[in-house]
Amino acid sequence: MELLLQTLVSGLLKGGVYALIGMGMTLIMGVMGVINLAHGQIMMVAMYITYSLFAIFGIDPYLSMAIGAPTIFVLGAAIQRYLLNPLMRIETILPENQVLMTVGIGMVLTESMRIIFTSDYKSVQVSYSNAVFFLGGVSFSMPLVIDFFLAVAMTCALFWFLIRTDMGRSIRATAQDKEAATLMGIDTERITWITFGIGSAIVAMAGAMLLPIFYLYPDIGGPFTRKAFVICILGGLGSTVGAIFGGITLGLAEAFGATYIAMEFEDMIGLVIFIIVLLFLPGGFKRLTGV
Amino acid sequence: MKNSSLLISLLLSGLLTIVSCSPNDSKTPSTDQPDPVNVGIVLPLTGKHAKFGEIEKLSFELALEKVNAEGGINGRPLKLIFEDTTGKPDIGRSAAEKLITQNEVVMLGGGYSSSVTAAIAGVAINKGFPFLVNTGSADIITEPTAHTPSGKKIDRLKKSNKSDDITTKIAELTKKAEKEAESILSRYAIFRLNPPVSEYANGIESFLAQVVKPQTAVILNENSLFGTKGAASFQKTCARLGVRVLLKESYDQGAIDFKPILAKVKDLDPDIVYMSSYVLDASLLMKQSMELGLNPKMFIGGGAGFTLPEFYTAAGKAAEKVISATLWHQSIPFPGAMEYYDDFAKRYNRETEYHGAEAYAATFVIADALRRAKSFSPEEIRDALLKTDMETIFGPVKFISYGAKVHQNRLPTYVVQWIDGKLTMIWPENLAKQKYVYPVNWPEERK
Repeated sequence: MELLLQTLVSGLLKGGVYALIGMGMTLIMGVMGVINLAHGQIMMVAMYITYSLFAIFGIDPYLSMAIGAPTIFVLGAAIQRYLLNPLMRIETILPENQVLMTVGIGMVLTESMRIIFTSDYKSVQVSYSNAVFFLGGVSFSMPLVIDFFLAVAMTCALFWFLIRTDMGRSIRATAQDKEAATLMGIDTERITWITFGIGSAIVAMAGAMLLPIFYLYPDIGGPFTRKAFVICILGGLGSTVGAIFGGITLGLAEAFGATYIAMEFEDMIGLVIFIIVLLFLPGGFKRLTGV
Repeated sequence: MKNSSLLISLLLSGLLTIVSCSPNDSKTPSTDQPDPVNVGIVLPLTGKHAKFGEIEKLSFELALEKVNAEGGINGRPLKLIFEDTTGKPDIGRSAAEKLITQNEVVMLGGGYSSSVTAAIAGVAINKGFPFLVNTGSADIITEPTAHTPSGKKIDRLKKSNKSDDITTKIAELTKKAEKEAESILSRYAIFRLNPPVSEYANGIESFLAQVVKPQTAVILNENSLFGTKGAASFQKTCARLGVRVLLKESYDQGAIDFKPILAKVKDLDPDIVYMSSYVLDASLLMKQSMELGLNPKMFIGGGAGFTLPEFYTAAGKAAEKVISATLWHQSIPFPGAMEYYDDFAKRYNRETEYHGAEAYAATFVIADALRRAKSFSPEEIRDALLKTDMETIFGPVKFISYGAKVHQNRLPTYVVQWIDGKLTMIWPENLAKQKYVYPVNWPEERK
């Protein structure tokens, strides 16, 4: 029983962070129709920013989000505005080429970080890195609990932004029908780079949250891009609500797989669900919820 | 008209001769120095193993300077050409092929991870090309029988887990493989400086037998070639010591949360937990064990991730008093060991560990063999390597055959313990710098 509860808690807490990682990607997907395959690499850059701020100035990883997220917003917006949008304007270039472009951007980011920080493994040790509390024999990792609630708060904030603000409405309008949005007087090109910036900033926060419990090296981005992609497919491409479900599902599936099947198959379990969803529920959870 | 065309053709031919001569012309006056002897080194310089690739590359370069300062290869400078494998076997393979055919290197070195090294070994066997392995530790690398068709069948048979008398079948196939191996044996030019993974735990084995005396064990390993083979050989160690293995689980490198698996281990309450991991999974495993309050009599690491300086930085107090197998420690009284450690720290401003020592020693073994080789043909270099008998910072080097292995350097392995944040040699006792700490009061250590 205790084992079951521990597995459930581990899966849920991890799922919260996953949801946040997936949400950034799905937001970008919804507006641009482009899978951003540099998503994990952008998170890796954010983690290096967090790490540097901690190593040089001793700024707590959670506080440094206030610096890291805006910086990454600028980075993401610049990528969209100066690297991806020019590709969109040329009709002969297929939209698929933007996806290839993001792969290239991912590589450039990885190798730039390697030049600056070398391939050494870095980690951030704060006083609460290893803090735990027990509830009925189940151990809760303090940083993961904080991460989970921050992820929930972030999600709420994002929804408020998308539903209540003008900018949010413009983003949703662009995602639904770009041409109609343009006709209604929305500067859709501006929306694309703002969205890319927001998506990047969200994953930057996820990166900062992971740092106290995880470690960091330049090649860490790839696996997270893959995870984000699986989450997006699970939740339905472009669906923010779906990304939450997708993230939690992936977290739970990995945890239960590790306990009751074998940890060796952790990645495989995620990908098997990915295939099952593609076969039997193409469109992901979005089909069930409709949002 | 006729004259002008003649003139043009004359001019053209003149130009052509100038062009064809110019490379030689420009070369002869500028090279007072003789041509370098090229050796290809394949390493993971990017990808998840890049950290180790970097330590090895820097160590190769450090050693190279010394070799060339001592006169290089009989007056010609030694040159190392590095190629990146990104840690993937297929890329390692093509890198090795490129070095052999395009760069025309005289021999190969490096390789790093077991799976990449095994892939490069395939290339080297096909071409009968000399390859000095200094890190790749899977046993098959120096077992010619494993590279024959029957040898591969045996491997598949063992993996299939069929219970119905495979032993007789294996015995049959082994004989066949030995016969098949004879044809490649005469030009088998793969040599290994480091002990194979099946011997990594030898030092640990005697430590467990004499000090810890465990009854039960749990084995956790990364599902790479190195991880699985290391875990399998520790399982054999347990069988020899009469230790019951309660659980053997493998995991994918890069996981964030090990709690489900560790909770399972806690339920089983084993005497020892043996973990084999390449990189910083090691620190996550230890940190989360601490969070769960998992307190066996001893945590044992199988080298690699557990001896990195970063392991302690990342795991902090959770790493305290953990022991690990290791292949080298700077305090071992081999000539030049401490000097290398200090040089590395001074030059690059960071710490080195056993992977670097392997690369450093390999450079001297390569230089020594090339100096003695009658020519730089693969056969002559192979002969020279066979006659190697020298002292290095990694220990004495002499390539011998035993069991199914050929061209294998036989070395003892050691046990280290993290004592007060320092990786300290504790076993064998005659080499120990400090007495081991056992039993360990984990909650006390982690306060």
